[in-house]
Amino acid sequence: MQRTTELYISSVLDRKIINPKGQVIGKLWDVAIAPGDALPIVTGLLLKQGNRVYTVPWQRVLLFNPLVVSVAGTTTDYPVYEATSASILLRRDVLDKQIVDVNGAKVVRVNDVKLTPYKDLLCIFSVDIGFRGLLRRIGYERLWSLVQKDISQSEIGWQFVNPLEINAAALTLSMAREQMAEMHPADIAEIIANIPRDSVQSVLNSLDHETAGEAIHELEPELRTRVISLMDSEHASGILEEMPPDEAADVLGDLPEEKAQELLRLMDKEDAEEIQELMEHEEDTAGGLMNHEFVAISSDTTVGRALDEIKRQAEEIETIYYAYVLDVEERLVGIVSLRELLIGNPELPVSEIMIEQLKTVDVETEPEDILALLAKYNLIAVPVLDEEGKMAGVVTIDDVVELFLPYALKRRRHHS
Amino acid sequence: MKLNKKNILMFLAVLGPGIITANVDNDAGGITTYSVAGAQFGYSLLWTLIPITVALVVVQEMVARMGIVTGKTLADLIREQFGAKITFYLMISLLIADLGNTVAEFAGWAASMELFGVNKYIAVPIGSFLVWWLVVKGTYRVVEKIFLFSCTIFITYIISAFMAAPPWAQVLTETVKPTFDIKPSYLMMLIGVVGTTIAPWMQFYLQSAVVEKNLKVEDYKASRWDVIVGCLMTDVVAFFIIVACGATLFAHGIKINDAADAAKALEPLAGKYASVLFAIGLANASLFAASILPLATAYYVCEGMGWESGIDHDFKSAPQFMWLYTGLIAIGALIILIPNAPLIAIMLISQVVNGVMLPFVLIFMLLLINNKDLMGEYINTKTFNRIAWTTVIVMVVLTLALVGTSVV
Repeated sequence: MQRTTELYISSVLDRKIINPKGQVIGKLWDVAIAPGDALPIVTGLLLKQGNRVYTVPWQRVLLFNPLVVSVAGTTTDYPVYEATSASILLRRDVLDKQIVDVNGAKVVRVNDVKLTPYKDLLCIFSVDIGFRGLLRRIGYERLWSLVQKDISQSEIGWQFVNPLEINAAALTLSMAREQMAEMHPADIAEIIANIPRDSVQSVLNSLDHETAGEAIHELEPELRTRVISLMDSEHASGILEEMPPDEAADVLGDLPEEKAQELLRLMDKEDAEEIQELMEHEEDTAGGLMNHEFVAISSDTTVGRALDEIKRQAEEIETIYYAYVLDVEERLVGIVSLRELLIGNPELPVSEIMIEQLKTVDVETEPEDILALLAKYNLIAVPVLDEEGKMAGVVTIDDVVELFLPYALKRRRHHS
Repeated sequence: MKLNKKNILMFLAVLGPGIITANVDNDAGGITTYSVAGAQFGYSLLWTLIPITVALVVVQEMVARMGIVTGKTLADLIREQFGAKITFYLMISLLIADLGNTVAEFAGWAASMELFGVNKYIAVPIGSFLVWWLVVKGTYRVVEKIFLFSCTIFITYIISAFMAAPPWAQVLTETVKPTFDIKPSYLMMLIGVVGTTIAPWMQFYLQSAVVEKNLKVEDYKASRWDVIVGCLMTDVVAFFIIVACGATLFAHGIKINDAADAAKALEPLAGKYASVLFAIGLANASLFAASILPLATAYYVCEGMGWESGIDHDFKSAPQFMWLYTGLIAIGALIILIPNAPLIAIMLISQVVNGVMLPFVLIFMLLLINNKDLMGEYINTKTFNRIAWTTVIVMVVLTLALVGTSVV
């Protein structure tokens, strides 16, 4: 016998539950679900009679459709429901809650849930986030359809849903997790800015350290500080280690001194030292904006070897568009762009093609002057020299431009 | 330390949500309601300010606590706990009440501009466009500091009240000795005073502000003080507006028919400049609230209904939000442009509607804050529950009494 059909949860909730004799034994209070093979499955119904709630296992449900919900026996046959941390309930934990639509990369609210029969089971198939679902819930779907024939409908397949409620997190499918990690960090940052504080953890936990780090760096400084202080220190330091050192220094610089020191202690010693050095510079100078990591080569290297060198270091380094030619005392003698290396004869020594008329700034240079220089010479990055004229790092254009974005644009970027 | 832009902004940033909310609370509707209360009933409504302050502190503390503990806005919580249907009807009612409030803000703007001799057909379109533009163009945050600073203008009521030399003995007696009247006009005034002080939309605004600040449970104590200080500020200003109006208008039997009458309460201090001072204060309060109120409304309605919201969106990416926001301002302004619109009455009645709505919102808040799953150990204490439920009952009884006496 076909027990059930495809249905929306809104069409059965609060419906009277009858037994085969036609007696009303209660009403449908909630639906218990659990992770299934592919999609989450319904494991039972919660039946409310008076003040008591009973659990009816799915096997004892005889009919489950918008017209009639019937179960075997009477309430005395069923155990009283007890909330445990493991239980996931559709109304309590999914309906009306916020979820991440990983396909659309945004946070939305669940208006309705569509259930689909599969073999003998009932699966959560999709969530309705559209206007039609909302009308259905409010009870005006039919009325509205008199005015508008095709009410806009928007449903997301469960495989693209990442629930934010802690209880429902177990229902996230691996496909949604993967998609989440592949989102652009700026999109993830926007999601983080839009969800309740308690859900931030669960979103960050579903990402690898590198993606999480990039997303955190995209956050507004105030929120960034909050997010870091919410995380346990182990996790936070792990993420910071994966960030480019200048960005990590940015983040740590905004934290209370104590917390920053604690995180630095937990980090890999080498990374920590580098970040600490960056943190010592005034925030709004070349020293504060720069990144210690750059491709350094010596002048007798050939073009081919230089390219290999870039390839080897590229994983660790943020900016690979320039290779910096240093002498034995780490003084900058020339710059060669990736473009020139790509089109140059691999056998030539880089000293033949490098630019010797250097445009550099020192650690104290103000952002205005750096931007002017970058704009004037159309550069992507500019080297920073320390007091002794040694090369200390590079400032990339993105870090400088950010400081000069008009207020409205910056807000749009961070999504207030 | 240099006194530069950054330092000043840093200083203003520590102003908490509670204090900002308190200043928005004294909006056009608020000033008018208190003024009329003083002019019409002298000092006899002063006693209500004590229980109102207690209720205000309790209610605002509750929303701040909910925001801190759950990290969610009031609209979020209502939707998640009570479902789409209840949320929809609540949001519709609040939307109507807030449209009334928006109209009141523009009425305040129109009235203050009339004191400067500017015709409302010029002032209102300019004012509404200004408000819309400030927010949509993102310059609002900067202007907010100016609004906030300008709120200090209400200190003039305190000075004016003292200079009017009211019979202090009587003022103090009336402040602590409750009197009551069953006249519809008195009941309406009473509901209006409660409604304007504990406005429902302010509770949504405050909780959102707390959530946006990302305050944590550790910040709870500081936030509590922020709320208490804010509430006291609101009611101290209310007290002195009533006293000033009582000493100047009620004492001479002057009824407030337009803003020029209300401005007379500042004459002991400012003499012939009273109307200028009043006009500046009212204009500032009106525009301040007119910038926040439609925006806050659009935000919480969209949060509740699950629609995209945020001022960084446009009509295409967040149509409901932008239409709600724009619509509230446009309709609010248009109503004021109706010839001979009674500005004072509009401001007054909108606050009465607030008072009538208050118990409904409070019931939802009480159900939420006593939910252990949400609040854990931070559920309401017995005392808080008693005070809040008393407020609910009192407001329902007052409303029923008003309806009853008006019909009879």
